[in-house]
Amino acid sequence: MTDNTIIRFENVTKSYDSATPVLNNVSFEIERGKFYTLLGPSGCGKTTILRLIAGFMEPTSGDIYFNGNKINHVPANERQVNTVFQDYALFPHLNVFENIAFGLRIKKLKKEEITRRVLEALKFVNLEGYENREIVEMSGGQKQRVAIARAIVNDPEVILLDEPLSALDLKLRTEMQYELRELQQRLGKTFIFVTHDQEEALAMSDEIFVMNAGVIQQSGTPMDIYDEPINRFVADFIGESNIVPGVMIADYRVQFGGKDFECADKGLSPNEKVDIVIRPEDLEITTVDRGKMTVKVDTQLFRGVHYELSTFDKDGNEWLVHSTKKAAVGEEIGLDFDPEAIHVMRLNETEEEFDKRLESYGEENHAK
Amino acid sequence: MNRSSKLSKVYLALVFIILYTPIFYLIFYSFNSGGTMSSFKSFSLEHYKAVFADTRLIMILINTIIIALLSALISTAIGVIGAIGIVYLKNRKSRNALLSLNNVLIVSPDVIIGASFLILFTMVGVKLGFASVLISHIAFSVPIVVIMVLPKLQEMSSTLIDAALDLGASKREVLSRVIIPYIKPGIFAGFFLALTYSLDDFAVTFFVTGNGFTTLSVEIYSMARAGITLTINALSGLLFIVTLLLVLGYYFVTNRTKNPLRTGVPK
Ligand SMILES: Nc1ncnc2c1ncn2[C@@H]1O[C@H](COP(=O)(O)OP(=O)(O)OP(=O)(O)O)[C@@H](O)[C@H]1O
Ligand SMILES: [Mg+2]
Repeated sequence: MTDNTIIRFENVTKSYDSATPVLNNVSFEIERGKFYTLLGPSGCGKTTILRLIAGFMEPTSGDIYFNGNKINHVPANERQVNTVFQDYALFPHLNVFENIAFGLRIKKLKKEEITRRVLEALKFVNLEGYENREIVEMSGGQKQRVAIARAIVNDPEVILLDEPLSALDLKLRTEMQYELRELQQRLGKTFIFVTHDQEEALAMSDEIFVMNAGVIQQSGTPMDIYDEPINRFVADFIGESNIVPGVMIADYRVQFGGKDFECADKGLSPNEKVDIVIRPEDLEITTVDRGKMTVKVDTQLFRGVHYELSTFDKDGNEWLVHSTKKAAVGEEIGLDFDPEAIHVMRLNETEEEFDKRLESYGEENHAK
Repeated sequence: MNRSSKLSKVYLALVFIILYTPIFYLIFYSFNSGGTMSSFKSFSLEHYKAVFADTRLIMILINTIIIALLSALISTAIGVIGAIGIVYLKNRKSRNALLSLNNVLIVSPDVIIGASFLILFTMVGVKLGFASVLISHIAFSVPIVVIMVLPKLQEMSSTLIDAALDLGASKREVLSRVIIPYIKPGIFAGFFLALTYSLDDFAVTFFVTGNGFTTLSVEIYSMARAGITLTINALSGLLFIVTLLLVLGYYFVTNRTKNPLRTGVPK
């Protein structure tokens, strides 16, 4: 633990009445001033983590620390945290101004200061001039922005955002992504952001926690997670991937699709069964005799920036290819890729073991 | 489509005419200078004068209004607290049990409530009169308030309370700044309903009143038994106007709560 740690979960488990816990022995650290994203499919426990941090419920077992102090039993209204709720939770009996001013009025600030800060917050979320509107007169996206303003206006140490951009159209969404990120950096606050959109997570975060079924599968920077997914779930969830079963024949040699390939991984047991990931954009179209692999083009879609080809090798494995070049449907083509493009994932590897293995490669490279 | 909407308008008008004719008939004859409702002689205010000259009647009117206001106020307070208690009760079984008890009180006949209160008061030794009438009016009004407030509480999302706590509000501030304002329309509806129930209650009051204390409906009943006079018509006319004012007041207040205080920025 460093001095910079603001929130720490230690073996936190949360179960409602049923036997299977919603969060299962989760541990992590949140550092001050960074942008974190909880990424995972619906129902995996993202909101539950936020609710535990905000103090709306207590863990079944395990401890939560805030600035080094255990806060398991500290009530929500005494925590230095503000939340942007998934369903906005704006007060329908108050207008936009009063909604945003709610926390400041509780703190009994001076009238002029409240007005100044509320207007400032409105300006940030691009809602200048809306202060006298009723909540029912706002659109879904506008409500979300009021909710964001209501949280940031209190100047908390940590801001929790539960899918705050999900109701916005693509353009406004991208705009708000930039602005939220910019705001986070300007304020230097810790943001914990929940989404199930992997592109949003990759674009905005300093650090991503990929979750599934109440467990954090992998945590790391967007680059780490994208380039070195720990397992099939993460690889699949974080972006479109080709995931095929393979066998590690020896260090730096892996076999899949009936062929041996050079790769960058080592230190696994000989003949260990593994999963192989190659990103669609790492595959390059070439002629059959030049390619490392021969596949048959099944379909081709134009995706704007690139073509998306669905191809099959002779074992029946599907290979998605993103290419700026066109290919003819039904024809055989060659696929070329670098040894580094092959990511080897051990089955059932824990995050610790995985990190250790990756580190050992790093040392090797330094030694060279 | 046009035809059917016309038809429905005619139907509505008919229903209202049937409902209101007896009342207006009654009020119309209250201005009759003749002593009966069989023929209209000429316009006069003599029956109204008789009402206002009768200080006993005026006292009864004031009593009735005081009982109505007091019982509505107290039962609204009790009912709101009760409804909040019921909704946030953790145990589902006891919550349902309480709700059923509440509903039984609403549907049980006034005569039974009145009779049982009479037994209770004589057993406990409460002197029949103002207090006994007030207590029993509060008792039958509380379930009404609960029923009017509950739906609002149930439709309120629990994340609103989380949001208020999140913004630093204490439990009491959550109640005063979020829950109460949110259910305000229900509270007003409950209050006005309790008021009208109390104003026009006859059966319960008839049982539990005594020692010379009466309310208007009981008094009108005994006057009618002594023989119809047009004073009753005048009294009813006055009551009708009071009710009308109450309804208007209700609309005024509920429309105001829809647009809460705009304490935004002065433009
Ligand atoms: N009050 C509750 N009682 C029982 N189970 C609950 C309760 N709240 C949530 N759950 C369960 O906990 C699990 C995790 O819920 P959570 O709200 O944390 O999911 P999430 O990751 O936020 O999903 P989403 O992306 O859909 O918002 C779900 O399976 C849900 O059914
Ligand atoms: Mg959620």
